[in-house]
Amino acid sequence: MGRQRREVPPPSPPPSPLPRAVGGGEGAAAAMSIFTPTNQIRLTNVAVVRARRGGKRFEIACYRNKVMGWRSGAEKDLDEVLQTHTVFVNVSKGQVAKKEDLVKAFGTDDQTEICKMILSKGELQVSDKERHTQLEQMFRDIATIVADKCVNPETKRPYTVILIERAMKDIHYSVKPHKSTKQQALEVIRQLKETMQIERAHMRLRFILPAKEGKKLKEKLKPLIKVIENEDFHEQLEIVCLIDPGCFREIDELIRSETKGKGTLEVLSLKDVEEGDEKLE
Amino acid sequence: MVLTSVGKMVALQKKTSGIRNICILAHVDHGKTTLADCLISSNGIISSRLAGKLRYLDSREDEQIRGITMKSSAISLHFVKGDQEYLINLIDSPGHVDFSSEVSTAVRLCDGCIIVVDAVEGVCPQTQAVLRQAWLENIRPVLVINKIDRLIVELKLTPQEAYLHLKNILEQINAVTGALFTSKVLEERAEKETESESISDIAPGDQIYDWSAGLEDTDDSHLYFSPDHGNVVFASAIDGWGFGIEHFAKLYSQKIGIKPAVLLKTLWGDYYLNAKAKKIMKGDQVGRCLLYIAVVFLSIYCFPYRDKEKIEKIVTSLGLKIGARESRHADPKVHLNAICSQWLPISDAVLSMVCNKLPSPLDITAERVEKLMCVGARTFDSLPPETQELKSAFMKCSSEETAPVIVFVSKMFAVDAKALPHNKPRPLTQEEIAHRRELAKRRHAEKLAANQGKELSEKPPSENSSENHSHASPNSSVDGTERRVRSNAMKQEADDKESFIAFARVFSGVARRGQKIFVLGPKYDPAESLHKVSKLFCSATNDMPSVPHMTCCTLENLYLLMGRELEDLEEVPAGNVLGIGGLQDFVLKSATLSTSPACPPFTPLNFEATPIVRVAVEPKHPSDMPQLVRGMKLLNQADPCVQVLIQETGEHVLVTAGEVHLQRCLDDLKERFAKVQISVSAPIIPFRETITRPPKVDMVNEEIGKQQKVAVIHQAKEDQNKVPEGIQVDSDGLVTISTPNKQATLSVRAVPLPEEVTRLLEENSDLIRTMEQLNTSLNEDKKNHEINQKTLDRIKEFKQKLEQNLQGRKWRNAVDQIWSFGPRKCGPNILLYNFEGYKRSVWQCLGNTVKEVSKYRDFDNSIVSGFQLATLSGPMCEEPLMGVCFTVEKWEMNKVGEMLSTDSQDSGECDAIEHKQSEDTALTSSCTDEVCSGNEHHDSSQNVPKSPEKISKHKREVLLADCYGPFSGQLIATMKEACRYALQAKPQRLMAAMYTCEIMATAEVLGRVYAVLSKREGRVLQEEMKEGTDVFIIKAVLPVAESFGFADEIRKRTSGLASPQLVFSHWEIISSDPFWVPTTEEEYLHFGEKADSENQARKYMNAVRKRKGLYVEEKIVEHAEKQRTLSRNK
Repeated sequence: MGRQRREVPPPSPPPSPLPRAVGGGEGAAAAMSIFTPTNQIRLTNVAVVRARRGGKRFEIACYRNKVMGWRSGAEKDLDEVLQTHTVFVNVSKGQVAKKEDLVKAFGTDDQTEICKMILSKGELQVSDKERHTQLEQMFRDIATIVADKCVNPETKRPYTVILIERAMKDIHYSVKPHKSTKQQALEVIRQLKETMQIERAHMRLRFILPAKEGKKLKEKLKPLIKVIENEDFHEQLEIVCLIDPGCFREIDELIRSETKGKGTLEVLSLKDVEEGDEKLE
Repeated sequence: MVLTSVGKMVALQKKTSGIRNICILAHVDHGKTTLADCLISSNGIISSRLAGKLRYLDSREDEQIRGITMKSSAISLHFVKGDQEYLINLIDSPGHVDFSSEVSTAVRLCDGCIIVVDAVEGVCPQTQAVLRQAWLENIRPVLVINKIDRLIVELKLTPQEAYLHLKNILEQINAVTGALFTSKVLEERAEKETESESISDIAPGDQIYDWSAGLEDTDDSHLYFSPDHGNVVFASAIDGWGFGIEHFAKLYSQKIGIKPAVLLKTLWGDYYLNAKAKKIMKGDQVGRCLLYIAVVFLSIYCFPYRDKEKIEKIVTSLGLKIGARESRHADPKVHLNAICSQWLPISDAVLSMVCNKLPSPLDITAERVEKLMCVGARTFDSLPPETQELKSAFMKCSSEETAPVIVFVSKMFAVDAKALPHNKPRPLTQEEIAHRRELAKRRHAEKLAANQGKELSEKPPSENSSENHSHASPNSSVDGTERRVRSNAMKQEADDKESFIAFARVFSGVARRGQKIFVLGPKYDPAESLHKVSKLFCSATNDMPSVPHMTCCTLENLYLLMGRELEDLEEVPAGNVLGIGGLQDFVLKSATLSTSPACPPFTPLNFEATPIVRVAVEPKHPSDMPQLVRGMKLLNQADPCVQVLIQETGEHVLVTAGEVHLQRCLDDLKERFAKVQISVSAPIIPFRETITRPPKVDMVNEEIGKQQKVAVIHQAKEDQNKVPEGIQVDSDGLVTISTPNKQATLSVRAVPLPEEVTRLLEENSDLIRTMEQLNTSLNEDKKNHEINQKTLDRIKEFKQKLEQNLQGRKWRNAVDQIWSFGPRKCGPNILLYNFEGYKRSVWQCLGNTVKEVSKYRDFDNSIVSGFQLATLSGPMCEEPLMGVCFTVEKWEMNKVGEMLSTDSQDSGECDAIEHKQSEDTALTSSCTDEVCSGNEHHDSSQNVPKSPEKISKHKREVLLADCYGPFSGQLIATMKEACRYALQAKPQRLMAAMYTCEIMATAEVLGRVYAVLSKREGRVLQEEMKEGTDVFIIKAVLPVAESFGFADEIRKRTSGLASPQLVFSHWEIISSDPFWVPTTEEEYLHFGEKADSENQARKYMNAVRKRKGLYVEEKIVEHAEKQRTLSRNK
């Protein structure tokens, strides 16, 4: 394991002896220049952030696991993010960007300002811990969504997040970083159904259908309805029922098109769960 | 060898005067179970050599491993004293604080108790607690001072010192008893005073003050322990010896020639023996041996230092027989024990004291009976006459046929079904063996005869074959088969089932197997239900009319409790402790059983410790959930003190009395009841989010605004972060925001509600819910439900109260403008409308309905839905809001929006709006749809490039749904955003759930109690001394978030002298700002640049966010330079 070194940048930037930034213990540079400890900077733990501006590529050398923190605002000290305030053309080769190029591309030659611009806009490779926390966070988020939307069908009570997390680990669910957590949560629910008793919390709806279409429509609605709690048929057909939230659109569409807007549909509750604490006895 | 057979026990049970129901109580590790062992060994159930090592009554595995008793268990012993035979029902109880509920169950069934005190440790906290419990149950105590040998062997005290030490302990114990006595007298006096005050109010003429506290008039000498009263025994249970004074009094009266009665009086106290004159002198001259020491202690002290010859001399002079094995044993201690336990057997000393000093069931005091029969504050006189008559039945404790049966079940305990007597092979009795031998002989003879017969004639005897068959299985005697058939049937269901046995005592009448009996729940009131059942008086056999808290069941099995063993019984007469099987479906934890419906349920057990340690339990494998729930139910029945509940969050919570109790419950759950792997965690702690008025002073108490703000490097980014484009935030917190399609603009402001209003809303949430239901039914204009006048009045009253509390210019007309409550339409947050051209309020149900058609009407539900969503999860950590008022100050809709709404109205289908509204609420709930995925506010900008998946053929739909989705959906999302930003514009605060905590502590540990409280952010409200005692009662509030492990810590720190009780009380704002960073120079000086000192609110907020997987503003790596370098060449 190498020690980290960071030395004071040489007082005079380019053109004279180029300060070399050598990434991760990479080999020595060109043969002709004489290497003495005073004119060489070795950088370790480098995370490179790149940006293309004006047809040229610019790079800055940052510390690993720090760039995301800067972007989210958690890290406020620029020196904790940048290894050096110099803007490079190629960090690993130690090529520093020319001043004219910088002025042309960014309209300024203030290296620190340019570094900030590149930091916020440039593309980067996400470091190990950053990726890890990101995935973990998504994993938790998915579990929270699942726990929020689902119930134990036997007790009509929600599962806890911790339990869902454990169940997700049991089925070896791997988080996909580019898919939204909500979509993944739906996927997880489907997979969990195979191993444990879990169900989307039902939605309670009330339809009021005109008598004419009522009978016919009811037959069509039947497969979509989970439980009919209450049915009342005099002038109009009134049904209070529980449905799977996934079917809502379909039901809504059906009622609207079949009754030509005469039927009504009302959501009584979004989530049919038991409320309050219950003593087991 | 068991000396006493079951038959003998049954016979003894009938002689009520010879029964003693006692329990052994003490502090943990003072030797209760060891003492019990010694007593048991006297009956030959265990070997006397093993007594004290076996701990026979600790039948659980973890009890043996940990070396503490965890449950109370009973055993019946036989004792002969003189010509009297006694049956002693002994109950051993645990000493650990966590199991004090088990002590309560034991004490209730007894008439007397043995208090055991360690001679070295003296009076300990639990000793005080058990004395108090015995006192509260009105049972008579006797004292055993145990581990006397430690004084000699460990402390190496001289006899004189030892005497003083013991005297000291006695004084301590008597002081505790005295304190209990005085507090009771004072209480009675206080009651009398309140009574007399009410009288004197009428006639305030001549008041005579009685300054004496009443203590002088009440005699208390019988309460105290003193060796000369004969209620103290000195013992060493582990060595098996013990003695009372009378033992030596008798011994020495012969030797010295003084009357035993005189000796009895003088052996303990400041007397000395003038050996020459053979006289006993009073006085305390220094240097003179006190009589007690001279006589008793010297005789014991000599043992450890004796050499062999002297020992032998003593042995022969005492007339003891010591086995050769013991006397040859290398360890002199064994020898010594053998001598001691033969010379002064502890069981004799203790049991004879028990028989002499403790009452039999017949001597039950009237006071105790009344106390048992009167629940709560009811007086005995207020009970119905039939019930009062039962008192005499109690007092008589008769086992006659006519006497009503009254049984009290103090707890249910689980027994492995295999351990039940009818399920297990039992050794045959002598007669049975003889009988079988007889049978076998006969068969053999017959066989021989048959063989001979065979030889003689070929005729095969028909019975012979069956005889042969039965010969092969010698067990099949008549009763054997019967038992086997029954046990087979039982086994099938019993194998996978825990069997519950009720731990009970018969107070009156005879309990018989198969008897029908009423089970009276704790809430049963004989006065109410007596007339309903009066026709069926004393006949529980008929079909019962349903009476609340009363069921009828059959006593299926009766057992004699013999520690681990159970013996079947046919009937149990009054005054005995017994086990009853087959009650698990009728009795939860404790109950009163009676054949008379007039019997009141007994007063509930007084538990010294209430359950306070809360943990959440989950199965390791989610599919094991049903087993866990079943297991928890069983556990609840088997343990008198545990509480189990399912919370709204879906957590299964176990509430136990302490950490040790918790451990036992978990073990039971894992191994007996649920049989699944479980994991335990701290329960989820709820929070609320709210806003406050901007503070006047900053963190260092400087006035805000006067200080120069320091330019802070790291705050440069902060402001740009907060408000994205398209949202205007005024300086006074008014947020203006448009829907993505720019059709509507909303202005919302958030204001904190006054505390009283929040409380009012919380209290009336049920009422608000009914109001909501009434409103919806009114809106639909169909079958106008008749509104209950009572509810109407309540609503009016509620409105009035709100008006009273919302006064001042700011709240003018506010009550009339209430649009909705939230979350879930009944929470403690309010939505107000404050713009022209709209009128609709929650007070519709009060009658003044104004049906108004306006351009807003069609979409107002979307606004309300947005408000509901916003209040359900706040911006800080997605917890519900509380005490926030949102005011919609502007709602503009441009032409298209209006046109849309009029269009929809023209078509005459108001219902269609209902569609949209409901659809949109559905969308927000549905994960598939991203229209409203503005749950995280930064998402909202990403929503833009979203095209509706389905474009309906309907014209209206096309109009309503542009590229941003349906308009009402946009409105919901926009409203929600507006509320969130309005909140963020104000100083946000977290609210923590608070417990009120009552702590009883003695004066010497007060300081430590305060230390623990302040460490856990607790706040002391008041502290007062309990009258007549040295116990302080401290009232404090403590955040629920800090309560995990609190009870345990406080007990540890105060050595168990303080016991807290926690009850949820209210929500409280945490005063610190979770987003606070130092801004002024002063604050910099005080808190440093990073302000990384403890910020309670931020800590809580981040913990919740982390748990939910929300973004936490936390650096992944604190120091960039201090990371591990992963270079290629390591």
